[in-house]
Amino acid sequence: MLLTVAASTLVVLAAFLVPLAWLIRSSTADRATSEATVGVQPLAAVVGVSDAATIRLAVQQVRSAVREPVTVFLGDGQVLGDQRPRTDSVRLAALGRAFSADLPDGGREVLIPVIGRPEGTAVVRVEIPAATLTNGVKTAWLVLGALGVALLALALFVADRLARSFLRPVHSLTETAARLGAGDLSARVRPGGPPEVAEAGRAVNRLGSRIDGLLRAERETVADLSHRLRTPVTALRLDADDLRDPEERERLSRDVAELSRTVDQLISEARRPVREGVTASCDAVAVVGDRAAFWQVLAEDTDRRMDVERPSQGVRVRLAAADLADAVDALLGNVFAHTPDGTRVLVRLLPRPDGGALLIVEDEGPGLPGPQMLRRGESTAGSSGLGLDIVRRSAEASGGSLRLAAGRTGGLRVLMELGPPT
Amino acid sequence: MPLVLVVEDDPAIRSALIRSLGERGHVVTSAADAMSGLREAVEGRPDLVLLDLGLPDLDGTELLRMLRAVSKVPVIVATARDDDASIVRALDAGADDYVVKPFSAVTLDARIRAVLRRALTPEADPVLVVGGLEVDARSRTVTLDGARVDLSPREFDLLAYLAARPGQVVSKRELLTEVWRLPYGGADKTVDVHLSWLRRKLGESAQAPRFLVSVRGVGVKLVEPDG
Repeated sequence: MLLTVAASTLVVLAAFLVPLAWLIRSSTADRATSEATVGVQPLAAVVGVSDAATIRLAVQQVRSAVREPVTVFLGDGQVLGDQRPRTDSVRLAALGRAFSADLPDGGREVLIPVIGRPEGTAVVRVEIPAATLTNGVKTAWLVLGALGVALLALALFVADRLARSFLRPVHSLTETAARLGAGDLSARVRPGGPPEVAEAGRAVNRLGSRIDGLLRAERETVADLSHRLRTPVTALRLDADDLRDPEERERLSRDVAELSRTVDQLISEARRPVREGVTASCDAVAVVGDRAAFWQVLAEDTDRRMDVERPSQGVRVRLAAADLADAVDALLGNVFAHTPDGTRVLVRLLPRPDGGALLIVEDEGPGLPGPQMLRRGESTAGSSGLGLDIVRRSAEASGGSLRLAAGRTGGLRVLMELGPPT
Repeated sequence: MPLVLVVEDDPAIRSALIRSLGERGHVVTSAADAMSGLREAVEGRPDLVLLDLGLPDLDGTELLRMLRAVSKVPVIVATARDDDASIVRALDAGADDYVVKPFSAVTLDARIRAVLRRALTPEADPVLVVGGLEVDARSRTVTLDGARVDLSPREFDLLAYLAARPGQVVSKRELLTEVWRLPYGGADKTVDVHLSWLRRKLGESAQAPRFLVSVRGVGVKLVEPDG
């Protein structure tokens, strides 16, 4: 912006100042020439009618007035005043033509023929040195240059002020948009600046209010969903409790408990957008470290060695901290629930080259019923499967996946891939 | 026999509650909406009110506030919302306890009895003492041999629950239902890890327990340490 202004101002200044400088130079030279010409005019009159002695006297007077070398070439070859050679210019002037001509040293000569003398045409010559021709030009040029610099600085200053007054609302706009994008729904722009920018600011504010409103509505909907789903389950559970046949009551209670867990999962999934807000993101290193430290005490109490390997730098993943914490709790809870005391556990968190992280929870337990564990959680009973199902949902919500494999010592290795934040 | 007023708009739950609470020795009256519930609570003078928060004509929390303006009757709130904010709002509005749907008849009955017991002995000492351990339910503080022990809210609830039943083995299932208010299944290691933390903070370990003694396959109990 400023560069553009500087370039265009320079072009305008050049277009204006260069001819002006040339004009000053030529008009100074012209002025000096015409002053000298006017100065020697009286001499021409004297030369026309007087003898050599009078002319010599007149030359001296004129010479002191114009302060330039003055020479009179008489028709008979006499040269009066400052001695100068009879050049071609003088001979040309002697033909009856008055003119001025530039000299090789940068000066100028003015030649005036005087007709009427008996021995032939005389020529009055006045010589203007280069210094006189350019007298004051340098000062004028310096003034012009200073004026140009001042104009350029003024243009840049005004442009900068204008740009600032234009850019400030734009900065505020982009900053607010970034905050909204990062999930701060209270961020609002104070609309200002040019009408278009102010309107964009108002539009961003409307957008923020709209997202906020939608999330609020979502929260209400989930609360309502929770009420609508849990109320009939409650009725079912109370009815099951009332059954007389203990076997039937136990069976039905189990089914109701399973239904209740499924409903809890559904509600938890429905709540995900409410938990996450606009963008879900957390530092996996911090969350995994925190949860591992939480479970470490149980590892010590059950004679397990629990090793935690994680990067020293934070790694951001696309999952709310609460969801990642729940997933880590489920993974570690599973290890503690399904491996004997004393079994070693390894928790590793690795940054993925293309963003996100890989969480590996590996135990040295007896190994696993098999990958059907995941599916088991989706349908019927099976507490371990249920835990992993929550982990799988979170992994997939983050743009990653969940894989099960055999560990190095035959135990279970769970790999939870976590995608990078959007 | 205590008179329980059930304010619940869902007819299936209402009739199931009337039946199962009746079988457990309560006299039950009911109301299907907030306004008739308020009238019944004031005029019928029940011993306890079981209040559903999701009522068609008025939010249950609002009804609770109105009821608290005129009556001190114990109130247990039944809610489908298990988020902390909703529960805190209900307790702040004057509820004595809450159950999260879907609750079982057994849990509800136990809570009703507990709330009634508290209502009958309002001056009971809120400080539970087991050996050098003092658990103050009112200020939610714990001291061990006079020194303050910093506990998380969940650790405090767990310890307070066990301290209220000294010497009695409490199953992890009961702890999950009563302290975590979670349906049993899968998350039993949550109880274990919190117990580990509690042990740590009470200066003991599973191998050398003092207050918290595990009974393998049954549960855990809080005892006065020997010596």
